[in-house]
Amino acid sequence: MDWSWTELQALGVKAASGAGVPAAQALAFGAMLPRHLADGGGEEPLIRALEAPDCIVTLAHQIEEMVERASITPKPVRMHQSDAGQRALMISWLAGLPCQSEVSVSGTEVRAALSLAAPSTRVRPKRIAVSEVLAAQLRNLAERTYVPDSDASRNVGAGAGLMDLD
Amino acid sequence: MKDFVPDTAPLRPPSEVMRLARMGAMMPTRLSFLRVLVRQLCAERAQITRRTWDMTPEGHGRAVFSITLSGHTYSLVAVSNDLPPDQRSDRVIATAWDAAFVLYDGVPDAADVDRIAAQAPLQEAGRFGPHDLVLSRANKSVRMWNACVSALQSGTQPDPAMIRDIGYLMRTTAVYGNGKFGIADRHLIADRPGLGGPFAVEMLAVYMIRHFTLELVQHVGRGTLDRSLARHLGIGNATGLGMAPFLVTHPVLFNNWMVARETALARVRGVQDVTPDQSKRLKTLAERAARHLSEWHVPAPDHDAALRDLHRDWIRFSTCFEAPDTVETLWQMGQSESEPLQELLAALLIEAFPDLVDDLVAEMGDPHGPLTVPFADTQSLKSAIERDWAWALQLDYEQADECRRFWYVSAAKLEPRLGDRHAEPGADLETPLDIARRVAALYAALKDIATPVSAFLARHPGHAHAASRVAILHRYPYAEIRDNLIAATCRPIDMLRCKLSFFGATKFDPKSDLWTRITLAQGAPLGDELGPSRDDWWLPTGE
Repeated sequence: MDWSWTELQALGVKAASGAGVPAAQALAFGAMLPRHLADGGGEEPLIRALEAPDCIVTLAHQIEEMVERASITPKPVRMHQSDAGQRALMISWLAGLPCQSEVSVSGTEVRAALSLAAPSTRVRPKRIAVSEVLAAQLRNLAERTYVPDSDASRNVGAGAGLMDLD
Repeated sequence: MKDFVPDTAPLRPPSEVMRLARMGAMMPTRLSFLRVLVRQLCAERAQITRRTWDMTPEGHGRAVFSITLSGHTYSLVAVSNDLPPDQRSDRVIATAWDAAFVLYDGVPDAADVDRIAAQAPLQEAGRFGPHDLVLSRANKSVRMWNACVSALQSGTQPDPAMIRDIGYLMRTTAVYGNGKFGIADRHLIADRPGLGGPFAVEMLAVYMIRHFTLELVQHVGRGTLDRSLARHLGIGNATGLGMAPFLVTHPVLFNNWMVARETALARVRGVQDVTPDQSKRLKTLAERAARHLSEWHVPAPDHDAALRDLHRDWIRFSTCFEAPDTVETLWQMGQSESEPLQELLAALLIEAFPDLVDDLVAEMGDPHGPLTVPFADTQSLKSAIERDWAWALQLDYEQADECRRFWYVSAAKLEPRLGDRHAEPGADLETPLDIARRVAALYAALKDIATPVSAFLARHPGHAHAASRVAILHRYPYAEIRDNLIAATCRPIDMLRCKLSFFGATKFDPKSDLWTRITLAQGAPLGDELGPSRDDWWLPTGE
């Protein structure tokens, strides 16, 4: 099925949260997800990351470290990542940052030139194709963040009890 | 960009502006998004054309209307249904509505209209495509609807007083844009002229829905509404908790809205010599505001009492408009008045000086997200918290009432709700809107030894969200609401009022602390009246 960028990003945040990833890292994962698929990064690294959410936290930390280093040096910053899937996600993560980034890979090393004050100019596609396997994983994990409905909560929700015709 | 730099007064500080009590008193301004959109439509003399009208005499069926804005044509596909009265609910968990809408990019062919007619009534359960820009639905104000229909059918006009009091024929209960349920992402249209501003395409849909409701009631009533009465029929909206978290989850966008508004006010306050024409305009607007307040009544006794207080205070204050030397004199006279009066005065001043403020609209979007620079080390982070978050550090989040609320998403149609942490299950699934508490916890965890922030967050990944909010506020000073959003005293209605005022809402009609009804486009030019001289409908009044 084809998805919009925004709905995929929002679902990615919820799915990461549902997998147990803390808020900031879940937000960053969500921002990375459509970029990764749009750039042809493949679904497998995403599926694996969501199955082992500690990887997402570690990856988020590595990106944080690279951004921190980029703020004190104009030179490209580097990070080794031996796992090919994680490396693919790292590339997408850097490419999905709000700032300008030029990302390249050499062996297991990811190199990024980040201009933190300049906004990203990367183009976003009109639609992104997602397999039912990944979509189901995202939905299932996202559902873990929803609080089960109850009469009590329904009865105190916004708009409860009012059926007036004004 | 302006080619001159106006004199400006200092901006009101975030510590004053970004408080819920003040946000809950905000009024629409000429920078509000619907106003900006209609101004653009007026400048282009846009015209709405009816392409399809396939309605039963009772007003059930489908319709298509098109409008051209800056060279692009957009079409509203409307589906009107026969809704049993017991299903007419404003809530997200409703499953049927009087009417459903899609704003389509271009002119839909018959297959598109068939597809939309099948999907739109399903709303959140439907599936939409990249040519679908906005999804919405609306319910009738049955009292207003029936009164209009019966008046028209009997060859008369509806009661102007009722139109003043209710203000709309239908109210939307959701207006979805930006990629929801598969509809087009905002980035696909954000660089189009006329749609660059925040929520511009949603406002275009709302304006066209209002046009549809007027056409529909005249079809069913088999008569023509007087123009002045039709113009005073806007489009209603019911808004609940879903809108409140937006202000927290879009901090840069929110900052940009507030900075534009505060910059507008500061520029106007910098006007040194008030010309006779400007003085006359100020007085005219003050009189209009008084009349608007006199016509604004709500059923909730506490909210109505607050409105009556504001009206009384405004009448008293209006003598200050007699001969102000400078705008700053006038502004300063208002500083001993209530927050609602100050916010009304701010909106009025912005309205009176279009040449000074209208360019600020261009700065109200956020196409990029936060462009923050990391703190040098944990000591810099700590200093930033002490400087920008002192208010948050003063609270004791262990106290039951300081952490009583928790925001969550219900499994029932993903309806956003607010729970009592000490009495209801679900707090473990809390939506992370407890920013103040998180920042206080981060501060408590920071030691006095300077280390790289990334190293600290590697040991404490749970604090990364707070650290990111501190970095954002450091760069965008109006990005954060400076109140505890999980306190028992937090009133989401204040957040709704703030956001809706940026949309251009009037006649706020709070139904509880959790939701409100409002009116949009009341007084706006009709679909065949869009022209350059029509941009004067701030705080509309009945004629």
